[in-house]
Amino acid sequence: MITLKDKILSSVTKPTRYTGGELNSVIKDPADVYVRFGFCFPDVYEIAMSHLGMKILYHTLNTREDTYCERVFAPWPDMEEQMQKHGMKLFALETGDEVTHFDMLGFTMQYELSYSNIVNMLMLADIPIKASERGEDFPIICGGGSCSYNAEPVADIFDFFTMGEGEEVMHEVVSEYAKWKRSGKKCKRDYLEAIAKIDGVYVPSFYDVKYNEDNTVKSVTPNNPNAREVITKRIMADFDSAYTPHELMVPFGEIVHDRVVLEIMRGCLRGCRFCQAGYIYRPLRERKSDTLLVLADDLLSCSGYDEISLSSLSTSDFGGLKELTDGLLDMTEEKKIGLSLPSLRIDNFSLELMHKVQAVRKSGITFAPEAGTQRLRDVINKNITEEDIMRSTRRLFEGGWTNVKLYFMIGLPTETEEDVKGIADLSQRVLDVYFSIPKEERAKNINITVSTSSFVPKPFTAFQWCPMDSREQLIKKQDLLKSSIKTRRIKYSWHDNKTSYLEGIFARGDRRLCDVIIRAVELGCKFDGWNEYFRFDLWMQAFEELGIDPDFYTARERSIDEVLPWDHIDVGVTKQFLISEYEKSKLAQTTPHCRQKCSNCGAARFKTGVCLEKREAQKNE
Amino acid sequence: MSDYIIKYGRDDRVKYISHLDFVRLFHRAVRRAGLPFIFSQGFNPHPVMTVAQPLSVGVTSDCEYMRVGLDLDCDGDYVKAKINGALPPGYRIIAAKKVKGKEIDLSKLDRAEYITETECNKDIDVDAFLAHKELIVPKKSKSGTKDSDIRPYIYEIENLGFCDGVLTLKMLLSVGNTYNLKPQSVKDAMEKYIDGFFTSFMTVHRSSMRAGEVEFLKKSI
Repeated sequence: MITLKDKILSSVTKPTRYTGGELNSVIKDPADVYVRFGFCFPDVYEIAMSHLGMKILYHTLNTREDTYCERVFAPWPDMEEQMQKHGMKLFALETGDEVTHFDMLGFTMQYELSYSNIVNMLMLADIPIKASERGEDFPIICGGGSCSYNAEPVADIFDFFTMGEGEEVMHEVVSEYAKWKRSGKKCKRDYLEAIAKIDGVYVPSFYDVKYNEDNTVKSVTPNNPNAREVITKRIMADFDSAYTPHELMVPFGEIVHDRVVLEIMRGCLRGCRFCQAGYIYRPLRERKSDTLLVLADDLLSCSGYDEISLSSLSTSDFGGLKELTDGLLDMTEEKKIGLSLPSLRIDNFSLELMHKVQAVRKSGITFAPEAGTQRLRDVINKNITEEDIMRSTRRLFEGGWTNVKLYFMIGLPTETEEDVKGIADLSQRVLDVYFSIPKEERAKNINITVSTSSFVPKPFTAFQWCPMDSREQLIKKQDLLKSSIKTRRIKYSWHDNKTSYLEGIFARGDRRLCDVIIRAVELGCKFDGWNEYFRFDLWMQAFEELGIDPDFYTARERSIDEVLPWDHIDVGVTKQFLISEYEKSKLAQTTPHCRQKCSNCGAARFKTGVCLEKREAQKNE
Repeated sequence: MSDYIIKYGRDDRVKYISHLDFVRLFHRAVRRAGLPFIFSQGFNPHPVMTVAQPLSVGVTSDCEYMRVGLDLDCDGDYVKAKINGALPPGYRIIAAKKVKGKEIDLSKLDRAEYITETECNKDIDVDAFLAHKELIVPKKSKSGTKDSDIRPYIYEIENLGFCDGVLTLKMLLSVGNTYNLKPQSVKDAMEKYIDGFFTSFMTVHRSSMRAGEVEFLKKSI
C-alpha cells in the first residue's frame, strides 16, 4: 500500500530520523493513558538522541501508568518543506500523532541558539506561540534545562519553567496536570496556580517586569499570591540512588554520541569563573562505583553498543576513579568494548589508564588552559599552571602521543594583547617540549592545534556583569593571534563570532527579546547552531524592525546594583558569592576548589555531595 | 567456530534503514543476543559478516541472506531464536543454517523477484513492453551517468493488475556482480518506451532471490 508517509520519507535525507520504532523506545496505547506528554528537543534527531537528560526524563515519565511520554524533535529543513507541502503537522516519533492537542509539551533548552527552533516547532504544530494566546484546548508548554535559569527571552512563550534537575519535579507537575484534567480543565490559571507552589516551578506570567528609562530592569514582582518571591532550583540530593534508566534507546542511524554514556557525577568543584555549568550544578555529587558498574553492565547488554563513555564535568575529580575504571576495563576487555574517558587531567594514573584503553591512543588529546598567561588564568580561576601543562605534555610526548589540541577562549575579562600573544607563546613552548625529547624517545609528526572560541558572559557566573567583546574586537584578537604563531607546526582554528554574539544577547536577555525571536523566525531563522542555516542578516533585521539594540545586552558593563533579569531565580550559589568572585577576579586572586576549602558559595544549603564530605570525614575520625 | 547462513526479512517499519546502518544494527543484535561473533584479524577487528545483496533504502523484503561467523557450535534454530529475540521490531530471521566451508555460496545469487506498486495514469501491456529489443535508460555509476541497455537483465515481468491508479507488477531482475538492475530503472524504461504512460511514486518489495532458475536455498534452509 502506498501511503503519504512513504512519499514524504522517501524524499528526505535520513528518513530514520522520523520513523520511531528504535529498540527500547517505549510503546504504549495512547488510549490507556490519561496524559500525553511530548518531550521536545529543539534540534535535529542526532543531537536530540545524544542528550542524556532527554533519556532520563523520557524513561522516568514513562514509568507512570497514567502518562505516555513521546519524543518530538525539530524536523530538518528538507522534512519541514515536505511537511508543509503535504499539510503535515509536527508529530511525535512513537505514534506519529500530531502534537497539536497533546496535554503537555516540554522543551529542553540546552543552548540559546535553539530558541528559534522552539518557535518554529510551535508554528509547525499550529500552536499559538505566546502563552497568553493559548486557551485550554492547546497543550501546556513548559521548559527546562540549563537555559531556563534565564529563560526571560522566551518567557512569554512558556506557561512554566522548571528550575534545576527534573527527575522529581516533572512527576509533580504531571500529577497536578492529571488532577486538573480530571476536574474538567476549566481554567489554565487554576493549574498554573497549583504548580506555582511546587519548589522549582516558575510561572513567568505570574511576575510583572518593570523597566527603568534606560531599559534596565527596575523590578520583577509577583502578581499572583501563589507565586514565590524567589524560585529555587531543584536537585537530586541523593544522586547515587536518583532515578536513571537501565535501558537505552538505540537509534538506527548514527548519532553524535553513539554509545553508552555513564553519568558518574553531577556538578563540579573547580569554580572556573566563566563557567555556568560549574556554578549551576553545584554541589558536586558522585555515584558509587558499584552502582555505576551495575548500570554499565545493564546498559551495554540491553543496547548492544560496543562503546562506553564516562560523563561528568571533570572525570579526574571522581573519588572512585580507580575502582570504577578497573571494573570497567574488566568488563570491556571481555566483551571487546571501547572505553572512552573524557575530561581527564594528565597525571601518572590517567596516563597509565590511557595506555590500557586502546581507543584513546589513536585519538588526540585536548588540553583546555583557556587563557594564554598565568595572570589571566588566575582571573578566570582556571587552576592550572604552565608547569602543569609542560609536565603533562612531556608525559604525553614521551608516551607516544603527538596529536595535541589546545583550547582557549578569547575576549575574557581584563584580557590584553599580551594575553592573546601568550596563547601563541604557550603553544610554542609545548612544541619546544616535544623537540627537547630525544628523537628516539618520541613519535614522529607532531601536530598541535590551537583552537579559540569567543567568551560569552553567562548568568549565574562571576562574569555575569562583564561586557562582551564586540565582533570587531574579537576579530582583531584572532588576527593578532594568527600573526603571533610563527610555525606551521601549530595550526590555528577559530570560531565564527556571529553566533557567539547572538548567544551573548540571549544569554543575558530580558523579556523584550521575545518579539525579536518570533519576528526572526517569521523571517526564516531556524537551526541557528548550523552554519548552513544561520542567517545573521535576518536576525539583525528583526532587531532593527523592533527597535531593539542588541549591544545593550552584550557591550554594556552592568553595575553590581543593577537588577538582573534573572535575580528572582536562585541556583544555590548566592549573588553575594558571585560578587566576591568577580571582585577577586579583578585582582587576579584565585579561589581554592571545594575539596581544598569551602568558600561558602551557598550550595551547602542543599546539604549533600562535596559540601558534606569534610563533615563526614571528621565524623569518622 | 561455525559459519551460519541466515535468511531474514524486513517490513515497512524498518525499510528506511540503510545497508551500513543495518550492519551496525545487526552487530548490536548479536551482542544483545549474547552470541559470540568471530572477529576479523588485524588492526581494527570487526565481526565477520557478509550480506549477500544489500537492500536499497525504502525496500521491504522477505528473502535476504547473509553469512556470519560465530564462535559456537549450535544448530541454526538456536541462533535464529536468539537473534530474533534481540532484533528491533520489523526485522525477523526466517531461517538459519550452520554450514561448512563453501557448501553454500551466496555469490551465486544472480536474480531477484520484486513486487512493485506504482502510482500511474493507466494500465500497461507488459508483453508489448518486453518486445522491445533494447531498453536504454541512464544508469548512474561512480564515474557519472551513462546510457545502458537493461533489456537483457529483465527475465520476467508479470502484470498483477491495475486498480485505483496503482499498477502492481512482479519482476524478475538481475542482481549481483554482472548487473544490478533496480525496479526503479524498469519504471523509467516503461515511462520512456510506453506512449502516454506517466508514473509517480513506487513501492518495492523483494519477494525471493534465485541462483539461476531455482529459488535459492528453498530446500536447504
